[in-house]
Amino acid sequence: MTVKRNMRWLAVFACVFALVGAACGDDTESTDGDTESPVEEFPAGSTMADLQEAGTITIGVKFDVPPFGFKNPETDEVEGFDVDLGHAIADALGVEPEFIEAISDNRIPFLADGTADLILSTMTITTDRDAEIDFSIPYYVAEGRVLVPEDSDVTGVEDLAGTTVCTATGSTYEENLKTNAPEAKLRLVDTYSECLELIQTDSVDAVSTDDVILTGMIISDDSLKLVGDGYTTEPYGVGIAEGDTEFKEFVDGVVSEYISDGRWAAAYENWIGQYTGEAQDPPTMTLEEALEMRPCEEMC
Amino acid sequence: MSDLWEVLLRHFPEFRSGFLVTVQLVAVSFVIAVVVGLVIGALRVTPIRWARLLGGLYVEFFRNIPLLVLLYISYLGLRRAGIEIGPWVAGTASLGLYTAAYVAETVRSGVFAVGKGQIEAGLSLGFPYRKVLSQIVIPQAVRSVIPPLGSLVIAMIKNSAIIGVALGLADDLLKQARLINSRTFQTNEVFFWAAVGYLILTVTATFAVRSLERRLVVRR
Repeated sequence: MTVKRNMRWLAVFACVFALVGAACGDDTESTDGDTESPVEEFPAGSTMADLQEAGTITIGVKFDVPPFGFKNPETDEVEGFDVDLGHAIADALGVEPEFIEAISDNRIPFLADGTADLILSTMTITTDRDAEIDFSIPYYVAEGRVLVPEDSDVTGVEDLAGTTVCTATGSTYEENLKTNAPEAKLRLVDTYSECLELIQTDSVDAVSTDDVILTGMIISDDSLKLVGDGYTTEPYGVGIAEGDTEFKEFVDGVVSEYISDGRWAAAYENWIGQYTGEAQDPPTMTLEEALEMRPCEEMC
Repeated sequence: MSDLWEVLLRHFPEFRSGFLVTVQLVAVSFVIAVVVGLVIGALRVTPIRWARLLGGLYVEFFRNIPLLVLLYISYLGLRRAGIEIGPWVAGTASLGLYTAAYVAETVRSGVFAVGKGQIEAGLSLGFPYRKVLSQIVIPQAVRSVIPPLGSLVIAMIKNSAIIGVALGLADDLLKQARLINSRTFQTNEVFFWAAVGYLILTVTATFAVRSLERRLVVRR
């Protein structure tokens, strides 16, 4: 592994010094190995050029949220819908993606302090967050729902009064639940896997967050069920450091290509469709529409 | 600068409620730590072999496991085993029992600091063992136990922050600060005030222990 890595670095340096940037992309091994489109060149000083020079892009994803970002216990690799899109962005730059864990609580600081170049962690586009970071166009639209044990009497968000509901600190559900279930007691934890632990041990009565995350929990524990209709719409966006317009435009381009050339549909079927049996069209929502749905709540 | 005060004013109710939860956590845990710590400490210095062994087991168990792991065991572990333990009980008991191990060690070293010669002298003068303990050993032991006890209280106040991190067991000061931060992203300002909150507690504890020291300590 180390030798391989060193070789790659050598290759990168050789390219840089020989000033044959266009040929470099082909030297890096693509993890999928299917698409070998020539890599675009970018003006020096842009984030894209810097990343190409470094040869890697650091992407913050969830490590415990199947089917979006989770560690496959067999391969120890991070996988999921978000991770696939991360690979697509890295491939478009001709660099290797490095995935780090970003929980709801730390992902925005990660962009601000440069720990991560991009955040792809089931992050809902909101106006509050948009004041701190930039968002790509929506790449997925989830709905807020409620997960309960099979024998629960709760039939939807309106029944949550007086119950204890688990969700993640720093997620949009802190506010969603305060608005839609003001009488519910919130149990706010760092990761959704903790919510799963808590509902399995009857420590909480329900978990509420995006439908796809809850579906992931049902896949690992079928004694749980989804109830009620979706009570919020959650458009996910790629998080980009505030003010990096060129990079945002680049990511937008990759996302729309990912949606239009069929890779989105394939990833949807692979990670979500085959488990839920449901079909879904790729999002057509614009960033402006997404932001309008989440007007400012706190700091703008 | 204005941001700093604005954050405090705007979120004062959350900060206050978190602060009060931390105070309660610390108060309950402290009582558990002192009561259990004294009992275990006493076991550790008795002439009875099995009692010393029992005390030793307790200390090695609770002192050698990270508090965070204790919290997971005491809450999720017990609940999975069918024991309906609440988050508050799990949190305070874990912190209290964990700190008790340190209190016990402090008590033991305090008692051992009193020279063996003094005990032998007391016994040879015809004092009963009970009298030797209460008149000679304990008054001197207290003198050397109180200052390290102060450090333990401070450590405990800081350790209490872990309870809110683990499984959201309590909405304490750190937890509230993180919640405010997740909405405002004013990280520096929010955690500055959280630090001030903890400082208020630790500094108060320091002064309390110092005044206790002045009143209880027997002069050499």
